[in-house]
Amino acid sequence: MMLASKEITKMFGRKTAVDHVTLEMEPGHIYAMLGPNGSGKTTWMKMAAGLIKPTSGEMTFEGRPVDIESRKQIAYMSTEPYFYTWMTARDVGKYYGDFFADYSADRYRALLERMELNETLKTRELSSGMMAKLKIAVTLARDARVYMLDEPFNGIDLLARDVIRACILESAAENKLLLLSSHLVEEMEAIADRAAYLKNGVLVECTDLEEMREQRGLSMADRYREIYSHSEGANA
Amino acid sequence: MKNLMKYEWRKTMALKLILLGITAAAEIAYLIGVFRHDENWAAISAGILTLLAFGGVMVIGLNSVVTLHRDMNTRQGYMLFMTPNSCYKILGAKVIENGLSMLATGAFFFGLGALDIMLLFAKFSTVGELWRFLEDFIHSINNEIQINAFGMACFFLNLLTGWFSVVIMAYLADVISAALLNGKKYNGLLSFVLFLALTIGLRVLENLAVSALVPQGTGINTVYLVRSAVTLVFSAGMYVCTAQIMERKLSV
Amino acid sequence: MQYDPNSPIWLQVMTAIKTDIVTGRRPPGEKLPGGRELAVLYTINPNTAARVYQELEREGLCESRRGMGTYVTGDEERIAQVRGTMARQAAARFANEMEKLGIGRQEAARMILEEEKE
Repeated sequence: MMLASKEITKMFGRKTAVDHVTLEMEPGHIYAMLGPNGSGKTTWMKMAAGLIKPTSGEMTFEGRPVDIESRKQIAYMSTEPYFYTWMTARDVGKYYGDFFADYSADRYRALLERMELNETLKTRELSSGMMAKLKIAVTLARDARVYMLDEPFNGIDLLARDVIRACILESAAENKLLLLSSHLVEEMEAIADRAAYLKNGVLVECTDLEEMREQRGLSMADRYREIYSHSEGANA
Repeated sequence: MKNLMKYEWRKTMALKLILLGITAAAEIAYLIGVFRHDENWAAISAGILTLLAFGGVMVIGLNSVVTLHRDMNTRQGYMLFMTPNSCYKILGAKVIENGLSMLATGAFFFGLGALDIMLLFAKFSTVGELWRFLEDFIHSINNEIQINAFGMACFFLNLLTGWFSVVIMAYLADVISAALLNGKKYNGLLSFVLFLALTIGLRVLENLAVSALVPQGTGINTVYLVRSAVTLVFSAGMYVCTAQIMERKLSV
Repeated sequence: MQYDPNSPIWLQVMTAIKTDIVTGRRPPGEKLPGGRELAVLYTINPNTAARVYQELEREGLCESRRGMGTYVTGDEERIAQVRGTMARQAAARFANEMEKLGIGRQEAARMILEEEKE
């Protein structure tokens, strides 16, 4: 198992964001993490990235608790923009180069070009769509073992989504694990092969998508509707 | 570590440049005043320079606390905490960058002040009055300070380490409030109360330690040096505490 | 390519490639894109792409040569066979649809011929 959580729980004050989630993920797959806003996707990912400390339970990367070392191999992209306001796209690349041994400046440049972004752009002046693309470009410029992209399609127009899907697929490999969260479920239907459904912080199931289509004739979106309709927060 | 420090410097650079700009302007005004024998210009700009010298170090320390606060409480913090660096390193880079900045600022103003005063002596023959004024000013801070290079250096070192420890204390208070009281009400207030309590507590401990280490009647310079050393030791302890809490409890 | 998300995606991509092969758009012996390339080309999961080649091999339409990739089979007889099967399946589907509309096979056949004239 590459990335796994065992009975992991995170409370913020009295609110339980992630509730005893046990979830195991293997390399060679692209996982979709699904659920309405507030279902715990982001919190789970941040715990895997080592940014949030669990209240109880454990998150492991290749059998060892996530820590400083695992950050070298897990590339996490937060849904919010987080670059320093003084940075240009070039500075962002340099920053990653300064801190991540697996970062490739060439790959970054190639990705920027495909996303039609210029290195001299100031991050402060980027539209939300451009910012989203920049975040993906710099994250995928790392040759990491795990890529966790939180809402990679947010704010990105239809045409650019195709480019991003292609870039994501090119980053996939036998020994790598990709985890994407999005409430744009349709965007991930064909590129993910497994889906983890979270509801109110609880893991409902983690399914193989082709199997579900073959055996039950259900798409990822169909199952999403089954799980979340008639529940609070299904409006996302 | 070098990279972490580089970005800490980059984050706090703007304020330092502004400070440098104001200082340059005040210094030019002072020089004009001295060379034109314009007492008003010289006096006002000398006053501003003195204020900058004492305030500048303070402001740089404060700015560093604000930066840490932002790194822990806004999404900007992902930039730091997603990198494969332990909290000891992340905080250490902040401590060292800030310590060096304060030291450099202190040394800069110390040197500038010495030059400006020397210029004054060179320019005016009747300096007796001025010298007495300077003496009075320094003795108004502490009667025992010796007015020579070594004495002044001891005095300023004591001042700097004092400020340095205040900054580390503010780090600790802020980290406690961010890591342990995350999301709770009165987070900021508690952090401030904690800071005051820590400051008072630490000063009491420091006084006890200094009076235990230094026998009665020791010269003021030795007292200053011992106190500086004690302050630095306490600061190191607080740094370890702060980093430990971050490592174990901090969620960004 | 647009997919029907309710049926297996490997099957849909496989059908598309099969069509390419039996119509000669991908001639016998031609090298097919690698697994990862296929995934990017069709915007599908790499495991789905691998499954596509597995199934095509099982049907005898492709062969993977060790270390060299996957090729369209050189067995033209097999391709013709598959083409026949696909055509029969299409005809059956069509007949079935017409039957639902209450149209008999002969009338359906006549309609096809007329369709061609137009």
